[in-house]
Amino acid sequence: MAQGKLVRDLQAAVGRRWVVHAPEDLIVYEYDATIERGLPAAVVLPNSAQQVASVVRIARRHGAPVTARGAGTGVSGGAVPSAGGVVIATARMNRILEVDPENRIAVVEPGVINLDISKAAAPHGLYYAPDPSSQKACTIGGNVAENAGGPHCLCYGVTTNHVLGLEVVTADGVLHWLGGRTADPPGYDLTGVVVGSEGTLAVVTKVVVRLLHRPESTITLLAIFDEVDQASEVVSAIIGQGIVPAALEMMDKATMEAVEAAIHAGYPPDAGAVLLIEVEGLEEEARQQAEAVRGVCRELGARELSIGFAAEERERLWAGRKGALGALGRLAPAYYILDGVVPRTRLPAVLRGVYEACDRFGFRVANVFHAGDGNLHPNIMFDEAVPGATERVLELGKEIMRLCVDAGGTITGEHGVGYEKREFMTWIFSPDDLAVMAGLKIAFGAGESLNPGKIFPDGDGRKFSFQGRSAIERVGPDAYV
Amino acid sequence: MVKQQSLAADLESLLGSDAVLPCERSVAFAVDGQVPQAVVTPGTVEQVAQVMRYAHGDGLAVIPWGGGSHMHIGNVPRRYDIALSLSRLDKVGEHEPADLTVTCQAGIPLAALRWHLAQHDQFVPLGPPWGEEATIGGVLAANASSASRHAYGGPRDFTIGLRVVTADGRITRAGGRVVKNVAGYDLCKLYIGSLGTLAVIVEATFKLWPLPKAERTAVAAFETPAQACSFAAELHRRGFSLRAFQLLNPTATAAARLAPEGLCALVIDLAGNAQAVERSYREIAGLARELLADFAEIDPATAWESRPRLVSPSEPILTCRASALPTKLPALMEALEAIDGALHILAWPTLGVVYASWPALADDEGTVRRLWAVASELDGTLVVEHCHPEMKRRIDVFGDSPPSFGLMRSVKQQFDPQGVLSPGRFVGRL
Repeated sequence: MAQGKLVRDLQAAVGRRWVVHAPEDLIVYEYDATIERGLPAAVVLPNSAQQVASVVRIARRHGAPVTARGAGTGVSGGAVPSAGGVVIATARMNRILEVDPENRIAVVEPGVINLDISKAAAPHGLYYAPDPSSQKACTIGGNVAENAGGPHCLCYGVTTNHVLGLEVVTADGVLHWLGGRTADPPGYDLTGVVVGSEGTLAVVTKVVVRLLHRPESTITLLAIFDEVDQASEVVSAIIGQGIVPAALEMMDKATMEAVEAAIHAGYPPDAGAVLLIEVEGLEEEARQQAEAVRGVCRELGARELSIGFAAEERERLWAGRKGALGALGRLAPAYYILDGVVPRTRLPAVLRGVYEACDRFGFRVANVFHAGDGNLHPNIMFDEAVPGATERVLELGKEIMRLCVDAGGTITGEHGVGYEKREFMTWIFSPDDLAVMAGLKIAFGAGESLNPGKIFPDGDGRKFSFQGRSAIERVGPDAYV
Repeated sequence: MVKQQSLAADLESLLGSDAVLPCERSVAFAVDGQVPQAVVTPGTVEQVAQVMRYAHGDGLAVIPWGGGSHMHIGNVPRRYDIALSLSRLDKVGEHEPADLTVTCQAGIPLAALRWHLAQHDQFVPLGPPWGEEATIGGVLAANASSASRHAYGGPRDFTIGLRVVTADGRITRAGGRVVKNVAGYDLCKLYIGSLGTLAVIVEATFKLWPLPKAERTAVAAFETPAQACSFAAELHRRGFSLRAFQLLNPTATAAARLAPEGLCALVIDLAGNAQAVERSYREIAGLARELLADFAEIDPATAWESRPRLVSPSEPILTCRASALPTKLPALMEALEAIDGALHILAWPTLGVVYASWPALADDEGTVRRLWAVASELDGTLVVEHCHPEMKRRIDVFGDSPPSFGLMRSVKQQFDPQGVLSPGRFVGRL
């Protein structure tokens, strides 16, 4: 049997122990945090870049597509394998190879957990800035693939702004260094295109990341409003005053209710929205910004305002936000998390549109999102067991994506396209735009051998994906956003 | 000559006579001494596409032209038929100040965009090493950055969308108009710094910043680059309101009269909130005193003026840009000086970037080879940005091909299979 030969070749390359091929074991690797599925023929756990290269060569020889997988916390189906393909799980490639505090860089393997980089850098007063909410579980390899974001990307940028170089294996099984450790190495910026390419151009085997100094002072403010519109206005007003906070997060009434029930954060039951605002810098700068933010909140009708200076106080203020998605899991059997971006000034109008559409479809929605970036995450709650509910949620999700695009925005700010949003790519890109992008796949010699079916709308038309309770249980309550 | 006339005539019939410059003006668009057969100045993006389709069909070589201030960067073109000037595509497009984003056409001079944004107390942190006449498109094509990259990152960090015309004349888009966007491959990264060899940039969208409320600039003098670099690193570690550092070697320091004979001047540029800038200034002055380093506030204009004088391409000079890890920067500066003490060196210590320049000679090749060797010993890279035209014909200004050159060649083949766009000018003569 063909699979038997493939498995034997893989075993020869990485050792018997590190090839998973029994059907009952493969199921674990069938999905990521979406419920999209694809049963691979084998899952390999290589221990080095050379082994990854061998695995890619073997898979190519057998005509099996390769999907790289980190922690499987992705929310667009990026790590969902192709049926019959080979999964390269990076779990064993989890070494922090180097922390160079003086040059503020670290060299890590792709299986290193995001937060572990900051932990390793902490003794030097440094940290790795992009902080997806799943940062306790997600890996840097997955972050690179999806160009992951997080609450603090407002000020510091997303993954791509913090990756200097990559070691990758291309589809022909050859190792390449892209970029490096120094500024602007001569040549095309191939690092910049591999970041965010969702595993379709190459398999990443080493990552050089930039580290930042911890700021002297961080202040967190939490403001509660009667209406969502008021909170949206505050977001615009803060940016309009020339303040770019480190983070500017919003949660609406439905989210607050869920959080209140789960962790008793102290939100009033009749409030409409809460804003979490973090400012950083030298003490003088942070205090002045906090004062200005406080002024804006008061002026625009905040009913309650809390401020935290010490780490414990700030953590308390963040607790509700960090526990939000886990809390939402209690409200409905499943929810569908969307990821769209709009220009900041269009936030109030688009949010109203989101509520209106959800009302019309008869679904509850909870919004918890990166307001400062205009990056929306509506979570639509539903019950898969109700006949037709899934299809209607998809229809609704599509309508909300359309709202974002019509407002001048985009279909994903940090989760990636994956399977989930392929069909929407044509809303923001013309056939020529997409053809030029697809040219890169050819240039990298990737064709359909690396993570096929992702990003481009001409795939095999799989269904969209959902986040269910099981996924939340796997990766912890504060995953995803 | 007949061919030249027919090319100009073809382009005139394609675009109208007002979009083709008279033949005698072509000299002003020479690249490395090569004069194009025709210079076109399209008035619309569609006309840019028409030019590319025409050139692609006839296998003619096109070099996109912005303000002309960075055309010395890159290898000697293999062929050069048409200069494609973006000068008429110079409008600011959508600018909603509250969104902190702006879209503009590629031919707008940087100074004009800066002026427009300043009306709204905003700015885009683009700043090429020389020439305010530089256009947005040109700065992006050259991936030219300024010392303020220390605080804001480089063009690849704050360019969120591009519209380009492909080698075969299709108008396509990369990125978008919102500050966060991960839909599809990030082709902006690829076009920026591709020196007009992959596509013609016709429009760009940027993330903006509010203008800082306060600014102060000071200069501290040190005996060695190592001392200056470790001082800069210490200030950075302390989180002061730093916008930029610029370090000059003794020769450059003396020429700019920034410090006494024999010392290195470190320009320290502060920006941000007024109180934070004041405190930063006070504490930095204190730290400099502890080290017995001369420290004084200077007029920012004086501080930055030193730059064009050092690296101006209008004089026959040789200029190299080298990169290394910040910790290896002092060694790099010393090694460069050891090759030729007359070198003017200007460095960005926290970024690990060095510009070195000296009067150009036709037989500088040996020196340049030694510079490449020095950079490579220190795990850095070195690009010759400006040199004597005779020498330029003999070298690849980018040095040895980078490790992933094979992939870069495939990218070029994919984006411009006929070699229509700036042929020969890029790394490895792509």
